[in-house]
Amino acid sequence: MSDETMSARDVIMQRLKAKKSPQEGAYPLPPVVTLGDQDASPERFEASLALMGGRMLSLQDGEGIEQAIRRAFPEMRNLCTAVPEVEGTLRIEDLETHEQADKVDVMVVRAAFGVAETGGIFLSEVELKDHLADVHLAQHLIVLLSKNELVGNMHNAYQERSEFRTAGYGVLMSGPSATADIQGVLIRGAQGVRSLSVIWA
Amino acid sequence: MSNRPVPHARLAAEFLKDEPHRHFHDERLWDMRQKRDEQMHIMPEWQELREQASRLKEHTLAHLPQYLEQFEENARCNGIHVHWARDGAEHNRIVEKILKDHGHSSIIKSKSMITDECEMREYLEPKGVSVTETDLGERIQQLDNELPSHVVVPAVQKLTTDVAKTFARYYNTDPNIDDPHALAEAQRNAARPVLLSGDTGMTGGNFLVAETGSFVVCTNEGNADLSANLPNLHIATLGIERLVPRMADLGVFIRLLSRSALGSPITQYTTHFRRPKKGGEMHVILVDNGRSERLGMDDFWTSLKCIRCGACMNTCPVYRRSGGQSYGSVYSGPIGAIIDPTFNARKFSTLPFASTMNGSCTNVCPVKIDIHEQLYKWRRVLAERHEIPFVKREIMKMAGRLLAQPTMYRLAISGTEVALKTMPRFVLYNYLNPWGKHRELPHPVKETFHSWYKKNRLNRTKTQREETQA
Amino acid sequence: MKIGLFIPCYIDAFYPQTGIATLELLEKLGQEAEYPMDQTCCGQPMANSGCNRDAKETEALFIRNFSKYDVIVSPSGSCVHHIRDNFDAIEQTDEVRHVRKNTYELVEFIHDVLKVREFPWAEFPHKVGLHNSCATLRSLRTASMSELGEPFFSKPKTLLSAVKGISFAAPRRPDECCGFGGTYSVTEEAVSARMGLDKVTDHHDAGAEYIVSADTSCMMHQQGCAERNGVPIRFIHIAEILNGARA
Ligand code: SF4
Repeated sequence: MSDETMSARDVIMQRLKAKKSPQEGAYPLPPVVTLGDQDASPERFEASLALMGGRMLSLQDGEGIEQAIRRAFPEMRNLCTAVPEVEGTLRIEDLETHEQADKVDVMVVRAAFGVAETGGIFLSEVELKDHLADVHLAQHLIVLLSKNELVGNMHNAYQERSEFRTAGYGVLMSGPSATADIQGVLIRGAQGVRSLSVIWA
Repeated sequence: MSNRPVPHARLAAEFLKDEPHRHFHDERLWDMRQKRDEQMHIMPEWQELREQASRLKEHTLAHLPQYLEQFEENARCNGIHVHWARDGAEHNRIVEKILKDHGHSSIIKSKSMITDECEMREYLEPKGVSVTETDLGERIQQLDNELPSHVVVPAVQKLTTDVAKTFARYYNTDPNIDDPHALAEAQRNAARPVLLSGDTGMTGGNFLVAETGSFVVCTNEGNADLSANLPNLHIATLGIERLVPRMADLGVFIRLLSRSALGSPITQYTTHFRRPKKGGEMHVILVDNGRSERLGMDDFWTSLKCIRCGACMNTCPVYRRSGGQSYGSVYSGPIGAIIDPTFNARKFSTLPFASTMNGSCTNVCPVKIDIHEQLYKWRRVLAERHEIPFVKREIMKMAGRLLAQPTMYRLAISGTEVALKTMPRFVLYNYLNPWGKHRELPHPVKETFHSWYKKNRLNRTKTQREETQA
Repeated sequence: MKIGLFIPCYIDAFYPQTGIATLELLEKLGQEAEYPMDQTCCGQPMANSGCNRDAKETEALFIRNFSKYDVIVSPSGSCVHHIRDNFDAIEQTDEVRHVRKNTYELVEFIHDVLKVREFPWAEFPHKVGLHNSCATLRSLRTASMSELGEPFFSKPKTLLSAVKGISFAAPRRPDECCGFGGTYSVTEEAVSARMGLDKVTDHHDAGAEYIVSADTSCMMHQQGCAERNGVPIRFIHIAEILNGARA
């Protein structure tokens, strides 16, 4: 068959199979490795988060989560929540348009887990109640994270967390949106959230 | 595409003329290299990670058909439409067809080198499709109608003042803004309505995972998450070499990628797409465009291991001083110099020579591509295919003949002895013009080592020599 | 041990004092070295330009000149790199393999083969900036490379440290290429010269009075850049310092 009548897939496959180098047998599949520091402590997470431009928000004596958020964002008008712990001004499930989400000042979500090595937190359609884009449209993000849901490093994350195999959309956010595309100056909040704060909860 | 060899030397010389740009570009990229080094120093497992990454990629490339099939099957089960494109043109037609089927006409797009490689914007725009780059650097390049300068920081060759002028033209901002924050804010504000109204989202992707049929997109701005999730249609374009076998393998690559690129432990957003969002549609286009051919090249197939971190560009002393635009290609710097000739050997014949072959690129490459050795091999291939300038070929032929004949060579050498002493400066500088343009010539000497040796060793008796030594 | 001395063309023609120092130093270290009078070049310029075929006759001549020696020593890292790693325009006979295997750059020869660490006659009361050429650094591996984060070692520095009065400047980018690159220096003269200027400026800013290197070709280029731009720094081959030059 000529290239004309075969499907693109078959042509590509045929080209690939016709190649003699590299030889299949010469390159066995290396076993999975777990390297480096696997410390999964909250302290390591906090240090990594700071490095990535995120911050910790800790509750003051007797303060509730929502109070702490209001204290951190006194100017806030719209507080959108995806968690039962916070009442907010509207619930993520009630967002009907992205334009609505665009007006959200602060969004509160709970992360499935965090990665100590990078200060990353994992969000999927489960935590976001299928509002995948809306979380990124909000101006600021508050993340509730349990100290029991930390993994050490990225090897641990991919090997131990089943979410990577079950989620349709899964994002590891490590700090807020950032860019250094203009003359190397680091700018937070390039396109997505301007800040990302984590509360141990 | 014009076939004329890219005049890298001339374009680089022009880039060097402007002191502020030259200085910033060199220091900025060197800083990225330094930050990469810092990460390496705090990770004792660094070299092991590189080794593992290299072996994983080599294995995958050696078994590419098998993993592509596995990916395709799993992705289909997840509800992703998988397409195959033999080349850039076919890729563009696939995108056009998907858009047409939906009656769509506006693409919001995150950075992907491969759609630039396919020249997708150039194809779609005349057909009435608007394509908006949402990555800040890529957007700047789009507005200026330029190719990306760098795979990670596409507008790194520009200063704030350049961006201010560009934005003033398109966003009506003040052309004299000198604060990058204000410019980034202008872009954010300009991008939001476009993001909200775009009907099709496009992304590239850093990795395809065969085991799960998912793909991974790494960004810092979060624009891929917005572009992919805002519209109900998401098209992702990836090269067929982007595969990794297992989800667990991502641990190795994600740990290396951003550290090698920018010196940050991870990109701000590491996003895993496995199936379309609720009510949405997802397409993955797998592009060959010369990759299968490259895979068959004994000396060059390992260039397909590349994960596009840009570390080789950051460390390259030539790239830092010539700027990405001087490579005339989507892929610049050392990696560009070894893959561009596979796209067009004549046009990119100059790039493997745009190197001192110092080897720093090879040492920083997280997947251990022997970049500088491939540069050396490309030179041979190109010379044998007569893709180097005639004059150079002739000079080398003459040099080869001269250096093979000691008597003629001696005559020539004594010639330079005399010449350096007696010829007027301008004659010599004309002859050795390129050397003398920014450099002095070596100083003339009284006698060559050859004649000294003849006088002081050959014509002396052994005893005389022993006396001197005693 | 019969040593054949390979003095590449640009040392022969422009820096004879480097060749002389190399020979005298080997003699001081009790070695008998011979300079075959019919030698020219190792073939590197042609090979690096891609014109490997044109290097064939030159390589053959090199073998005729040097195969009779047990070892071949040269004060030029880049030439040794070519001979050891790339010298393949001619058929790889036993003779060729013998030559390729037994060719040493001067520093590695003294450091690894002779294992000499003392140079009692040497004194160099100056601050020097050590320039490791890319060939000695990344191909011959005579020093640790910054990109790999390996434990520090430096054969040239180990040898130079035995010289009385010497001190070392610490440039910001110690292993950055100086931009010579053989024919590169002519085909991309603007970038090449810029790299050279940056290199000599870096050393000068770090307080170096001299740049010292095991590669004359790099220094020839750097000297040209320094002189054109009025950067007050001098150049000396490591062989000359080890042989006892004071300035
Ligand atoms: S060749 Fe290596 S260093 Fe260069 S971009 Fe690709 S992976 Fe990164």
